[in-house]
Amino acid sequence: MKDALVRSKKVANWKNKGNKSVLYLLVIIICAIIVMSLLDPKFFTARNLLNILNQQSTLGIATIGVAIAMISGCIDLTVGNLLACTAAIAALLLNAEVGVVWVILLTCISGLAAGFVNGLIVVKTKIDTFIATLGLMSVYQGLALIIPGGNNIYLRGKLASFGTYRVAGQIPIPVFYFIIVAIIAYFVMRYFKFGRRLYSIGGNPETAFLAGINLDRNRIGAYAISGFLASFTSLIVISRIGQSQPAMGVAYPLEAIAAAVIGGVALSGGRGSIPGVFLGVILLGLIRNSLNILRVQSFYQYVMLGVVIVIAVTLSNLGSRKKV
Amino acid sequence: MSERENILLEVRQCSKSFPGVKAFNKVDFDLYKGEVHCVVGENGAGKTTFIKMLSGALHPDEGTIIIGGKEYSHLNPALAHELGIQTIYQELSLAQDLTVAENIFVGNWPTNRLGLVSFEELYKQARMLLDSLKIDLDVQALVRTLNVPQKQSVQIAKAMAIEAKIFILDEPTAAYSTNEINNLLGLVKKCAENGVGVIYISHHLEEVFDIHDRITVLRDGNKVATHGKKEVSSEEIIREMVGRDVSKFYTREKADIDWAEAVEFQDFSDGGSVLGVSFKVHKGEILGFAGMVGSGRTELTRLIFGADSRISGTTIVEGRKVGINSPREAINEGFACLTEDRQKTGMILQHSVEWNTMLAHLNNSRGIFINEKLESKNVRQYVKSLDIKTPSIKQIVKNLSGGNQQKVVLAKWLYANAKIIIFDEPTRGIDIGSKEEIYKAMVELAKQGKYILMISSDMPELIAMCDRIVVMKKGKIAKVLDKEEISEENILTYSIGGTL
Repeated sequence: MKDALVRSKKVANWKNKGNKSVLYLLVIIICAIIVMSLLDPKFFTARNLLNILNQQSTLGIATIGVAIAMISGCIDLTVGNLLACTAAIAALLLNAEVGVVWVILLTCISGLAAGFVNGLIVVKTKIDTFIATLGLMSVYQGLALIIPGGNNIYLRGKLASFGTYRVAGQIPIPVFYFIIVAIIAYFVMRYFKFGRRLYSIGGNPETAFLAGINLDRNRIGAYAISGFLASFTSLIVISRIGQSQPAMGVAYPLEAIAAAVIGGVALSGGRGSIPGVFLGVILLGLIRNSLNILRVQSFYQYVMLGVVIVIAVTLSNLGSRKKV
Repeated sequence: MSERENILLEVRQCSKSFPGVKAFNKVDFDLYKGEVHCVVGENGAGKTTFIKMLSGALHPDEGTIIIGGKEYSHLNPALAHELGIQTIYQELSLAQDLTVAENIFVGNWPTNRLGLVSFEELYKQARMLLDSLKIDLDVQALVRTLNVPQKQSVQIAKAMAIEAKIFILDEPTAAYSTNEINNLLGLVKKCAENGVGVIYISHHLEEVFDIHDRITVLRDGNKVATHGKKEVSSEEIIREMVGRDVSKFYTREKADIDWAEAVEFQDFSDGGSVLGVSFKVHKGEILGFAGMVGSGRTELTRLIFGADSRISGTTIVEGRKVGINSPREAINEGFACLTEDRQKTGMILQHSVEWNTMLAHLNNSRGIFINEKLESKNVRQYVKSLDIKTPSIKQIVKNLSGGNQQKVVLAKWLYANAKIIIFDEPTRGIDIGSKEEIYKAMVELAKQGKYILMISSDMPELIAMCDRIVVMKKGKIAKVLDKEEISEENILTYSIGGTL
């Protein structure tokens, strides 16, 4: 009797640790794959599945940054426009004949610096993070136009292999980037004190503060990571499409937040896991891909996608919802 | 029987129990028109329960409430409002961005022919009302711009405007200056003159003696006595408030105090609730802090812990002056603070025992990685030595009992190597068995040579545990009681009686 109680509590703990949403997501994803495979044989092919992963890798990397900020209780809406800014910077540097390694390095540093500034502004002004980054979002939107003079900048084949190379002639390299970033993020959030601090701050800022955790410094760190990952994403995107565009990435912030929430990250912070976020991004891609294969008109796709997001989040929150 | 007609409210044999306590026990109470009836009692005497029953937030288990000749077994908030019972809070229930006049007549604004609010008429009526109550306020001022005492007088005016018959004021003067208190008392008297019955609850006996027509003393949920005007002295009231049997209470083991080693706090002020507080705590000593709610004890602990910013204050740890401006720095100097509200500020409820235990240690240790194995081993040790009852260290703390939660918070600080430990209401909401374990742990820490500060509103507990007791009143130290001076009567005398 007592053993059973302990066991059931252990199961409860395991579920509570955010694994529950991972579990639900896996079930949902497997169901979706089975249903789609039955509906259309084109779906369950290595080519199509790799395609989904490749498609989602850019949003995925940006989402991991956004999710890390969310876990610390902060919303980051800047990633999309910031991504367009660093894309322009990278493109200009490439056209100025700067070496590729330097371009990658400088772009990522600029993203990191921008994220740091975002964090600094958010913690120092103490404005609600949603509003503060909404304002900053507009600033980056402007900068994304100012930096390249409002133009698309073409790369003329430079940096092409960064985002389009296929490992062993098969697997697109962005898939590897996405997986590597996810693994690193998983370790940072799970085994680094920094990650533990972010969860603690998001879970209960007052308690974290009284336990000696520096709220400001850690939150700035989270924003810096988010900015860094956005800039890294921008490199993949421009490499793929061969140009930088001032309006690229505008849909990122909301899609990233949606993917993170599907993955079990709480909007209020403190809850969520990187594996969950990874699966959340995959699920979004899966749905979009399925709708394409089923030839659902793109207008209707938006509607379906929205419905699916709401259903998925409802399912993954089942049981943990409060009555009120 | 003319008195019968003047009776506004009668409470007959009302009782209310909570699990484990009889909060209110067969109490009779009445209130006449035009009377100020004061209610006094220690923390936990049943005053809040009483108010909540009258405002309809709590239902009595037995007894009746008679208002306007009608009997009720219980009230609810809407009914209480309808019957003219108004509880005046310090800040709540005013619309911050409306004017004084709009707030006073909220929902009942005079209108013109078109059905729109006639501001001319509104301001006129408001001014007349404020004048009649001798409240000196601009009726067109936004409530947001007022200070707390002014907001309170607006609330009273609002209650007068809807012709409420019974006002309840609960600790209305917390953090008020003498001048502001006198204004409020004047206003309350004015309302009573207009026929309102006032129930006035306060820790401050001077105020009570200034304003009362009658005084009712509560103790442990029982009514001790009701006195008429000028029938009693403050000494007698205090004697009636105390009288719990301390001897039956916990007897602690003695710890040796090293009087040569001390942590000294000099001149701590935050400009409002803590004013120039200085004291010393010695190695192995449990120093108690007594005082009524609002006397500044919790604020003081936050100040010395670096959680709030201070105007002045120096900390000297064993002869060495230390600068503490954040909890982080305090923790590095060996401070720990078990906060009053452990669920909100002591732990992260959705995380595990292990997580919560290592929270403060996290910042104290070197390196950027978490050594999970080592941490788990250490946490298990604390779980064992403090006898925390949990199925595993992975258990979510939300699922633990209050006593075990408190032990997790204590484990957190011990793991962070604390030597100066502040316990703020350490046993609030904890069952008796766990209470004793917390006491034992505290004495054990004292024996190990830690410095212990203990804040408690549970007087028998404070008396049983502490070597000396600092009595606070209105943000200042009223008296430091040595071991032989400690008694419930002395503590009460200094925390509520006399003049400052």
